[in-house]
Amino acid sequence: MWLGLDVGGTHTDAVVVDENGIVATAKVVTDHANLIQSVQKAFEQIFRSYPSDEVKKKLKRINLSTTLSTNAIVEGKTENVGVIVSSGPGIHPSHFKIEQHYFPISGSIDHRGKEISKLNAEELRKAIDACKKDGIKVFSAVTKFSTRNPSHEEQIRDACADADFVTLGHRISGKLGFPRRIGTAYLNSAVWRLFNAFADAIEKNLVSMEIHCPVHILKADGGTIPLAEARKLPVESILSGPAASTMGISSLCRIAGDAVALDIGGTTTDISVFADGEPLIEPHGITVGKFPTLVRSLYTRSIGIGGDSAIVAIDGKVQVGPTRYGPSMAEGGDVPTLLDAMNYLKKISHGDVDLSVRGIERLAKEARISAKQLSLMAIDFAFTTIKEAVDALLKEVNEKPVYTIHEMIEGKVVQPTSVYAMGGPSRAFLPLLEEKFALPVHVPNNYAVANAIGAALARTTYEIELHADTERGKLSIPNIGKFESCERNYSIENAKIDLINHLLSHLQSIGISITESDVQIVEASSFNIVSGFYTSGKNIRARAQVKPAVEITLYSRNNA
Amino acid sequence: MIEAKRKLGLIFFPAFDWAISPTHPEREERLLYTQDQLWEEGIFDIKGIVEYKPDIASEEDIKRTHFCIPNVAAVITQSHMISAGGAIKAARLVMEGNADRAFALVRPPGHHAMKVVHGNRGFCNINIEAVMIEYIREHYGHRRIAIVDTDCHHGDGTQDIYWHDPNVLYISLHQDGRTLYPGSGFLDELGGPNALGKTINIPLPPMTSSEGFLYVIDNAVLPILEMFQPDIVINSAGQDNHYTDPITNMNFSAQGYAILNDKLNPHIAVLEGGYSIQGALPYVNLGIVLAMAGVDYSGVVEPDYHERAIRQDKSISEYIAKICDEAVRNYKRFHESFSHHRAIGQFQTRVKNIYYDTDGIREKQVESVMICDECAGVLKIETVSSVNPLSVGIEIPFAACSRCRDVGVKLFREAKESGKYAYAKFINRIDREYIDS
Repeated sequence: MWLGLDVGGTHTDAVVVDENGIVATAKVVTDHANLIQSVQKAFEQIFRSYPSDEVKKKLKRINLSTTLSTNAIVEGKTENVGVIVSSGPGIHPSHFKIEQHYFPISGSIDHRGKEISKLNAEELRKAIDACKKDGIKVFSAVTKFSTRNPSHEEQIRDACADADFVTLGHRISGKLGFPRRIGTAYLNSAVWRLFNAFADAIEKNLVSMEIHCPVHILKADGGTIPLAEARKLPVESILSGPAASTMGISSLCRIAGDAVALDIGGTTTDISVFADGEPLIEPHGITVGKFPTLVRSLYTRSIGIGGDSAIVAIDGKVQVGPTRYGPSMAEGGDVPTLLDAMNYLKKISHGDVDLSVRGIERLAKEARISAKQLSLMAIDFAFTTIKEAVDALLKEVNEKPVYTIHEMIEGKVVQPTSVYAMGGPSRAFLPLLEEKFALPVHVPNNYAVANAIGAALARTTYEIELHADTERGKLSIPNIGKFESCERNYSIENAKIDLINHLLSHLQSIGISITESDVQIVEASSFNIVSGFYTSGKNIRARAQVKPAVEITLYSRNNA
Repeated sequence: MIEAKRKLGLIFFPAFDWAISPTHPEREERLLYTQDQLWEEGIFDIKGIVEYKPDIASEEDIKRTHFCIPNVAAVITQSHMISAGGAIKAARLVMEGNADRAFALVRPPGHHAMKVVHGNRGFCNINIEAVMIEYIREHYGHRRIAIVDTDCHHGDGTQDIYWHDPNVLYISLHQDGRTLYPGSGFLDELGGPNALGKTINIPLPPMTSSEGFLYVIDNAVLPILEMFQPDIVINSAGQDNHYTDPITNMNFSAQGYAILNDKLNPHIAVLEGGYSIQGALPYVNLGIVLAMAGVDYSGVVEPDYHERAIRQDKSISEYIAKICDEAVRNYKRFHESFSHHRAIGQFQTRVKNIYYDTDGIREKQVESVMICDECAGVLKIETVSSVNPLSVGIEIPFAACSRCRDVGVKLFREAKESGKYAYAKFINRIDREYIDS
């Protein structure tokens, strides 16, 4: 039995799921000023509607998807961070300045991880003193090519001895990208205190309710991490909402080939893409607010069209969204929305249809077009916009650069053969979506709580990258902190075995037991290092993941 | 977030699964450390710099440009179609307004591949810039194109292809041919009878440093471009003038390359040679990318750079000044007019012996061009090599006059009928007819 809780923009949804399907659900209005209370209320509703002792006994895990960090970042309500960076040859680090307490220090490491110049201890001391003077308590240490050699980041951490928390850039991801590493490490420290306070409160709540199962946090890549890990890497909790929906649809529907999934909400529609039945992962990392990050994420796009998107008519042109002023008029709102237009055309019968008709007629009169025309144009605009956004995303996926002749010639092209829709208005949208996409559209049962189901059933994901340089005799798997020596005859086969073993033992150390078959080698390549005209070593790169997956599928109990 | 002043399209295709041989300089990991550096710098997060996948060139793109003996398929591999396709993609981005500038960071290179191709010479099979330029002319109709080749080796292939074309200016800066492969590119190589002065060679002495290269740009290249007035400027961006390059003897730097690119401001750059894959390429490529996008490149300095250690001798500076004067004089001499002493309508012939160093092929050519005051002149090349029997190629050039077109059609028909040639190739740019038989 699994409990999933998704703190969304409008509602907080919770479900309890077991092998037989949904056991209990809850829906409360999200109170952005007090997320803890929203979570608490959802828990209470769940346990009120079901014999709580039994649930507590059978519960294997609680997964939380929360907008806490995302909102704090987007609204700028985060803690000040002392950001200390060093760079070396290339774009000057001053271009990546994030906030006032940003200090580039001399010192550099090259692309093979060799120290080119030492970190300047005097500059470092001054930077830290300046931060201390302003009461800075959390820091981020980021140096160029730290994934190949973390020593400068470690020196910075050691110099911040009395800080409350220091994020080391190389522990976020093995991927290259100095500016993204700076941004991600900054965000991690900026939300660290807030997130930990939230985690404390959640744990206290659960203890008081006598719930002792493990608690995980949902990530943007559709996987989870234990709360204890998330306390160190709170940035991993950002933008997990769309991932919850995507994982929900993959547990509710049997997706075999290439497909598009749409989560249609009140304000937005989130698009995700499946290739060969698996959700696609964004190659670089997700962007939050103005920060491109190294946080792994599903390939999703959000567009400002939902059931409650307001209709605007100007000069004979009709637009829908991206603004939502409130619910549709059928539900007592003030402004006609997409749902009202559909009510008007009798495509659906949602809420108080008369209110929709009145609202649409009033707007049509103002715009000097017929009410029918207005409704048709609004619907056409909305579905055309969704279709165009899907096409643009697919184009981007299929035009993703590749670096080998093999991939250039043999590369997979994603061509969806079906569409899956979920979210409140999806049932009503089905015929229109089928018309627009000219593909079969499936809407599963329980489509309105697919997000919480996805959160409940999501499994742990993890990704590690190995880099070995046999000429220098160095091996690194940065985000799990492995920096070791390697033999001259170390090979790509050794690398694959090491990746699997390290990933399994790391996950075991944080309380996750998985088997070797859950680990996937995503890529592995080996290049000769040639000095003069002789091969003097090998440069090996390999990456492994535990891919996004759900604990159980519910589609045998579902009509889709 | 950094914003680019100019929208730059970057086609990065390192061909990680292709090499001439495992320890050959043109091998898999040539752009590996460049990729590391570009990714670590976050180049693709700069607003205005966008990475694109290369196109794959079509056989017609090759047939439009080269006479391949025995045929296109026999002398190329997929890798060549993709690197040529990368250059074509760069051109399309700029021509169609999706980017202000484009850089094809692709391999394998092309500037030693000549009009006739029997195999690989100087690591090149097909001339990817020429394939790109002919694509541009075929699809967008631009006429005046300037190529500035900053590879350390003389681009003898590009020179050969445009030798007769008065509308393509080819300027090459390179290490003096007396000291380096391919041993050509002297001041007196100025182009064929229809295009005198439209080939300009600036052979530089070994140990030329940034000072010398930038002097040539300021005092020869830019003034000549100003006179030529091209529609499009293309940089054959070889990076083997770098002080760490293992197969050359120059002292150019990443900062110097970036400044050169900034001054030249080419519409399109195409990677050529450059074999210091760790010490030079990551930094030189970064410098070129930033300069093309109009982003501050002042921090791009190699870790082992010491200005004083590679400063050029005063005697080198004086020598370069003299060479530049002569190059500009040569260009000016033919810029105004050079038609009065020519026998219009007659053929001029030259004999060429060509060695394909990579494949060990020897080729002999008799090349005849019609002297013409209206176009590049119909071209006929008879060729025989150690791997192919006597063959012929006839070209009716881009924007050919009606006389050259008619003569070309007749020449091809006669060549076919004569039964003398194992293979007879035909490039007819007027009727867009390309015969690879």
